[in-house]
Amino acid sequence: MVTFTLKRIASGIVLLVAISLLTYTLLYFSGTNIARNILGDMATEDQVALKQQELGLDQPLFARFLDWAGGVLSGDLGRSWFNAETVGQSLMNRLPITLTLVVVAILLTAILATVLGMTAAVKRGWVDRVVQIGAVIGDAIPGFVLAIIFVTIFAIQLGLFPAISTIAPGAGPDAWLISLTLPAIAMTVTAVTSGAQQVRSAVIAQLEKDYVRTLRSRGVSEREILFKHVLRSAAPAGLTVLSLQFIGMLGGVVIIEQIFALPGMGALAVSATSLGDIPIVMGVVLYTVIIVIIVNLLVDLANGWLNPKVRVS
Amino acid sequence: MKLAPLARVAAVTAATALIFTGCAAGSPSGSEGASSGGGTLNIGAVLDIASWDPSQAHVGHALQPYQAPYDTLILREPDGTLSPMLATEWAYDEDQTALTVDLRDDVTFSDGEVFDAEAVKTNLDTFKAANGRQAAQLTAVDSVDVVDEDTVQINLSAPDPSFTYYLSQAAGLMGSPASLGTDEIAAEPVGTGPYVMDPAGSVVGSQYTFTPREDYWNHDLQKFDKIVFKVLTDPTARLNAIVSKQVDVTLLEARQTEQADAAGLELLESQVDWTGLLLFDRDGELNPALADVTVRQAINHALDRETMLEQIQLGYGTVTNQVFGPESGAYVDELDETYPYDPEKAKDLLAEAGYADGFDLVIPSFVGLESISAAITQQLGDVGIRVQTETVPVANIVSDFAAGKYPVGYFFLFQGEPWVAINQLISTEALYNPFDSTSPELQELIDAVHFGGDEAGELAKDVNRYVTENAWFAPLYRLDQIVYVNPATITAEPQIQQAVPSIYNFAPAE
Repeated sequence: MVTFTLKRIASGIVLLVAISLLTYTLLYFSGTNIARNILGDMATEDQVALKQQELGLDQPLFARFLDWAGGVLSGDLGRSWFNAETVGQSLMNRLPITLTLVVVAILLTAILATVLGMTAAVKRGWVDRVVQIGAVIGDAIPGFVLAIIFVTIFAIQLGLFPAISTIAPGAGPDAWLISLTLPAIAMTVTAVTSGAQQVRSAVIAQLEKDYVRTLRSRGVSEREILFKHVLRSAAPAGLTVLSLQFIGMLGGVVIIEQIFALPGMGALAVSATSLGDIPIVMGVVLYTVIIVIIVNLLVDLANGWLNPKVRVS
Repeated sequence: MKLAPLARVAAVTAATALIFTGCAAGSPSGSEGASSGGGTLNIGAVLDIASWDPSQAHVGHALQPYQAPYDTLILREPDGTLSPMLATEWAYDEDQTALTVDLRDDVTFSDGEVFDAEAVKTNLDTFKAANGRQAAQLTAVDSVDVVDEDTVQINLSAPDPSFTYYLSQAAGLMGSPASLGTDEIAAEPVGTGPYVMDPAGSVVGSQYTFTPREDYWNHDLQKFDKIVFKVLTDPTARLNAIVSKQVDVTLLEARQTEQADAAGLELLESQVDWTGLLLFDRDGELNPALADVTVRQAINHALDRETMLEQIQLGYGTVTNQVFGPESGAYVDELDETYPYDPEKAKDLLAEAGYADGFDLVIPSFVGLESISAAITQQLGDVGIRVQTETVPVANIVSDFAAGKYPVGYFFLFQGEPWVAINQLISTEALYNPFDSTSPELQELIDAVHFGGDEAGELAKDVNRYVTENAWFAPLYRLDQIVYVNPATITAEPQIQQAVPSIYNFAPAE
């Protein structure tokens, strides 16, 4: 188990370095004249050249990357080119919002998908059909469309929630709760429907296995079979889907954050990318890759704990 | 000068905003004797503030927030008149290269430092040296001399007809000399202005809260008990915020007007930007056809401006043939009749120029420009000009124009003061003149404006005639600024040549 974990961490680090270098190279060759974008169209060539020097943009690619990487190793992610903040501050201000949103959405997804998927698998019949149809509809409606519908109905017409986030400095849990409810539900709906499908098929597959028949013939109660044996065997499939959904949500949150004006990391990523604010983009990439690696590691560990076969292979 | 591309970048990108639910302010702040009607002014800002250091200040949307903590030397009235603020009087010498500025002697900075001639010198020197986002405004400044405690003389290397205007903009913002250039002032402004930042109510990238400064020298400018800037870069978030009354004023898009009107909000009418084609390659370096003025005129005749305005901008704008705005002083009414929509005439002109079979033309496009690009491709295609659209990342478009990569460009540009526009679009120094197009005749007209002092606007009309008749551009229309306010809470007056009103133009509703 320890070797397994260490191997996973090592490959994570390799991935991190590779993605950083790749992103940096892509940004380097994007051809954006950042100094010009900062100074505007009335600045003289000399002023632009000076700004370029100031930002180190006159250096070759590898020197710039090493400079950046050296900073990262000493814990310094640099400073935004368009903003007064350091990259570290910027991310620390925004990460809690994005993570809270994604974690809440994924927990809701996990619970609801399991309940719906298992109910459909065990009861079959009309319940199953409703879940199946719901899955198709849910898959067909993108989260951001739901988000816009929610804002229109629940925020603007009914006034039950704020249309844009009210998470102000020092805001209490109530502000977080009312600000994150609509976005979290919007993100959950589509994830739940496809999650429930996965859980349903995994549970049905297990229910048809011989060991379930054996357990039944021994008189073990249905409830015990379902929760102690079937769920445990079906869990790895569900967990893997969940981890993929988590990563998908980190991407999807970008649009959701825009609609609800949530000052999260996705919003930051988009604005920094279009401005060419390389320090911020690199910071976002670094944090996102680290989060993805950690989530994958946790899922692998959970799968290993649930199913010893995984550990051996 | 123009903020348009950045604003548009922001418009198509992220949204970052926090809202401090509008509590209708408690006790009327420390502004004793103020003409304060009280209340909170919640502004839905399009852009985040890059830094509160005045040397990093910007224009248009991005100038407005600086007006809370900082005063400018000169105040620009809503109609563009320059009035005293920190400067009481100013006058040029005969050569228009030395500007003597008299200053108020009763002003302090919010950190207790005294505002005097020395402080002005430090500010202007710092602004120039910092090479910030509007460093271009002080390009002409050679040196600043302290004449006496409340007088400075600003020496210019050459006359700059826009210089006093710049002193009402970023270059005129005065920060405390004790803090200039430090990290502290980047995070928290220290000025002489009507309001001071409340750090407890502010988070970088999402909202900035200001409260009135107690010992401010002009209480007439402190009309609110609180001003909150909420950064809402996404247009949908801005619409939702103002419709649900979480902000009192914000900038929307033409397609959102119906919803805003239905919510009882009020449109503040003004025009700031023009949009259209810039026919860069007037010497035919990349595309020989464009060297012929009749070809450039044919392009102008081929465009159905009315229809494009109606379909793309839902009519929120005014078609035009010139790049100078009506308020610039260089605008010539009849020039707008130079190029009526006439595809037959366009074909005739092309044939006359030897392009009866048309020619190929590359035009760069970027995200958000799809429908305009399609319309232009169609209309130029109708007269035989075969357009190939090349998509360029938004962040690269200005530098690609500057580098002379394209013979023609479509863009949104600020319609400012004549001298600003000339240096942006027409002089050989101008970024949007990448091939340095000029002629002795034009240079003479430009020089006349340069040394024309108060006559600059009138003289710039000749420059305008020249570039319009020579079809340097193919402007489509001036865009209405879709600024909406909530009339139940505030009143506002548009600010000439500025994307959003100055903060002085807002007042609590009666």
